[in-house]
Amino acid sequence: MDNLQQTQRIHILKEKMLNSPRYASIEQARIITHVYQQNENLSIPKKRALSLKTALEELEISVEKEELIVGNRTKGVRYGVVFPESGCSWVNKEFETLPTRPQDQFLVKEEDIEEFRKEIYPYWQGKSMEDIIKKNYGQEINAMAKVVKINQKDHAQGHICPDSALWLKLGPSGLIEKAKRKLETCPKDQREFYECVILVLEGTQNFMKRYSYHIMNMIDNVEKEYQRGLKEVADNCMNLSQRPPQSFYEAVQSLWFLFVILHMESNASSFSPGRMDQYLYPYYQKDIASGVLTKQKALEILECLWLKFNQIVYLRNQNSAKYFAGFPIGFNIAIGGIDENGEDIYNDLSLLCLKAQYDLGLPQPNLSVRLNKNSSHELMQEAIKVVAKGSGMPQFFNDEAIVNTMIEDLGIEEKDARNYAIVGCVELTTHGNNLGWSDAAMFNLNKALELTLNNGKCLLTNQQIGLGLGSLETYETFSDLENAFQKQVDYFIDEMMKAEVVVEKAHQDCLPTAFLSTVIDDCIEKGLDVTKGGAKYNLSGIQMIQVANLADSLAAIKQLVYDENMISKHELLEALKNDFKGYEIIQTMLLNKVPKYGNDVKWVDDLGAKWAGYFREKMKDYTNYRGGPYHTGMYTVSAHVPMGENVGASPDGRNALTPLADGGMSPVYGRDMAGPTAVLKSVSRMKDSFTTNGGLLNMKFLPEFFETKTGMMKFENFLRAFVDLEIPHIQFNVVRREDLLDAKIHPENHKSLTIRVAGYTAYFVELAGKLQDEIIERTAYEDI
Amino acid sequence: MKTSKALVFDIKRFAVHDGQGLRTTVFFKGCPLRCKWCQNPEGLSAKRRPIYFEKSCIHCRRCEQSSYENQMIYENNRPYFHLDYQGDFDNLVKCCPSTAIRYDSEEYDIEELIEKIKEDKIFFRDNGGVTFSGGEPLMQGEFLVEILKRCKEEGIHTAIETTMFASLELIKKILPYLDLIYIDLKVFDEKKHEEFTNISSKMIKEHIKYILESVYKDKVIIRTPLIPSMTATDDNITSIAKFLVSIDSEVKYELLNYNPLASSKYELVDLEYGVDKQYKMFTQKQMQHFYDIVYSTGLKNLIIE
Repeated sequence: MDNLQQTQRIHILKEKMLNSPRYASIEQARIITHVYQQNENLSIPKKRALSLKTALEELEISVEKEELIVGNRTKGVRYGVVFPESGCSWVNKEFETLPTRPQDQFLVKEEDIEEFRKEIYPYWQGKSMEDIIKKNYGQEINAMAKVVKINQKDHAQGHICPDSALWLKLGPSGLIEKAKRKLETCPKDQREFYECVILVLEGTQNFMKRYSYHIMNMIDNVEKEYQRGLKEVADNCMNLSQRPPQSFYEAVQSLWFLFVILHMESNASSFSPGRMDQYLYPYYQKDIASGVLTKQKALEILECLWLKFNQIVYLRNQNSAKYFAGFPIGFNIAIGGIDENGEDIYNDLSLLCLKAQYDLGLPQPNLSVRLNKNSSHELMQEAIKVVAKGSGMPQFFNDEAIVNTMIEDLGIEEKDARNYAIVGCVELTTHGNNLGWSDAAMFNLNKALELTLNNGKCLLTNQQIGLGLGSLETYETFSDLENAFQKQVDYFIDEMMKAEVVVEKAHQDCLPTAFLSTVIDDCIEKGLDVTKGGAKYNLSGIQMIQVANLADSLAAIKQLVYDENMISKHELLEALKNDFKGYEIIQTMLLNKVPKYGNDVKWVDDLGAKWAGYFREKMKDYTNYRGGPYHTGMYTVSAHVPMGENVGASPDGRNALTPLADGGMSPVYGRDMAGPTAVLKSVSRMKDSFTTNGGLLNMKFLPEFFETKTGMMKFENFLRAFVDLEIPHIQFNVVRREDLLDAKIHPENHKSLTIRVAGYTAYFVELAGKLQDEIIERTAYEDI
Repeated sequence: MKTSKALVFDIKRFAVHDGQGLRTTVFFKGCPLRCKWCQNPEGLSAKRRPIYFEKSCIHCRRCEQSSYENQMIYENNRPYFHLDYQGDFDNLVKCCPSTAIRYDSEEYDIEELIEKIKEDKIFFRDNGGVTFSGGEPLMQGEFLVEILKRCKEEGIHTAIETTMFASLELIKKILPYLDLIYIDLKVFDEKKHEEFTNISSKMIKEHIKYILESVYKDKVIIRTPLIPSMTATDDNITSIAKFLVSIDSEVKYELLNYNPLASSKYELVDLEYGVDKQYKMFTQKQMQHFYDIVYSTGLKNLIIE
């Protein structure tokens, strides 16, 4: 792969993309609102289908002359789309602040704000999904918010891996035929579903044709050198509107259209392509064999697609942008892994995907490598080269941890489990046949513990929000405390499940998704929309927040209060109530005198595992609204910050309002003092069944690790042990100059950061200031 | 009769710099040498002592309150321990809320240490394993023999970093259980060796010769740390390389570049760093100069990272 080059074309396109201003767009909102207003007599599924079709036929489109892959859901790139059906009251509130808010800013046009307030927003008040949920259950949802954050209340469900292979095989024309055949024989109550499917697929064909016409209109006005290429793109679009793709190039264009339209229909986060290196490979192989494609050309096409993945961003409200900072939309691609027969597979395309990531280093796609006991040395080394670039990609998933657990704990068929993919950040799914409802809710175990220690009262507001079962001072033994904690958790799980039913029903009523249903098996077979349970698998994932802090808190209470009597119950409770002000010695003891999760100390890790395990088991008592099982995940992404803002001072020594552990499975940052192998050992004590919806483990490595062949080989050793330890996920950041500078200013946050000083490795924050400066100087070259 | 316990001043998991694969390095406390450039000065003394980390201290003075008579004094806003105090310092270590007061080492028996080593066994692939370092691991020789035997029973790859300054009898005992042997030969000239390290290099050289003529020779890497004006002289490197070639020109030899940052640990242990502060790492060009010297003696296996 080393002899392949990033072309000038890619360079130009990348610059253009990064330099174009990012606006909030109301264009699709306008179209949707008009269609709804003009068709009041139609059912919601029909109105939805028709408004998508109209958008596909009317939205302004554009093409850059250098593009090999075309299509977007707005005229400009990286626009944020206002989407009224799911909810836009927040847009009404926050429209003016979009350009200035702290996270994920968008420019706005005055006239758009005016039109939105006059023409769009009034129509949707009381009709949007958000308003319906609020009306039906808003109070209850608010009451539990500090412990349970119910998600997917104001946007359509994403985090879905469509059946791209089917899409490529049939194309919209083939899918229309299939739907038409079904329509002829289906029971009456399914007719509407198939009619909707046909509507949106016709819109899809027209959308593709429009790109072809658009290009042919502009072609005479561009320099000659671009004309031949553009003609080819126009032909691709026209062909795809009429038949399935026949070449690799067409297949990639077809794939991109699929994802543009999925986003247009749902404006949701994270529709993910999944195992692209597998389903695109037959096209690639055929074209390489016949000589119509070279590796270099394939790379250029892939890199054009990579740029496209960065052009759709997701407009979130200010609060949500805080939870998911940096527009993550999660075009997750999973390369490598085992096939249906359990054999490890990878191919040229897997390596080309890594090469594209190496060249571009952009936030999207979210590139994942599936590892297993038989992963090849070549694939791992190529992946490690990309890790060394420091973009945090690729992340690694572990077939050994995931496949069997999916089969045993979720009842997924073996062939589907072996073919798992990743959606969004780290959420696990089967490929093309699952509505996984990832991140249905976030359950803050640490807030539940706080309420348990303080008689159901919030430490921050003194409000009674949980069950009053006693307080730290009244629990005689540690197991009394644990019993009360269990009751508190049970109570909030039950509250959460009631809310989930309301939310899922609202999705069915307000946001049926005919287009998505064409690429999720078995919706077409069953004649059932995906929101109604048409998919083969119907899971719901609840996130446990954050087991690391919980383990540390419980360990501190157990050892220092109950076992050793180093701190009295009264003192600890007072210290927590006062956020350790005046109780600094107690805080120091909590932080330093008890082992922490992440240091390979079994009894501490086991405390975390015990409660994660309890929670996971408890999920089995419930069934979701689509009839599928609940399961759990441990992946907060950036939510550890706002989730921490809900929690008062905690017995692990953490101050009120400060972030919880990052990641999901990671130790609290700075508390893992025994090195990366100890972290893996601790994390491996979390059973794989806790993370069937996904787990997230973040680690930081020094750049020097990747400077030599030996270092990269040792990194592979580390990854292979990760596989053997059956940990579901790991991702690596490379320690940079900024980290060191920050560690100098805030040593308390970087206690575990180790640096090789000379013949030995030392904790960076324990080094003298001057020496720290020297090391920072030494790391400077990484800062490019 | 087994020696029951060893004093260990650090166990470093995920050691990646010496030896193959991922390793756990066990640092035995105590060393018969006193190299002026020692990188692990906290490992020199063979005693277990309390140490004080100023950066961790919150100055709560709890140590002062719980100290026994003659155990310590609190001055300049910090404790000073009376190291000749006869009893232990457990009370001080225990009362310190921030662990600013800790012991500089811990005692391990064979089972405790083997359990500790085995914690990372799953990472020991591609000849990763355990490395015994120090201090001078041979100073706790009987324990070392036992722990090496246990490691081999467990199928763990074993390495040692040593000067071979010990009895030949002990060396003969450990050799069969070692997979990789790093031996430091710092200064060829016996007098100068004594000047810089407190002991003569005579026995070290004899033992190197013995090992390089034995069946274990392929497992050996001889190393010289390049210390400006002390070991890093043309003369010294020439003499060492010639000495090695005279035994076997195939011997593996490595030159370790000087690293001035090593001085940073000395404050902790209240010792003086013996190398002039003005010296810096050797440049690529200077290193090449030393490599050329080595090659000119006919030594074939110079290891260059």
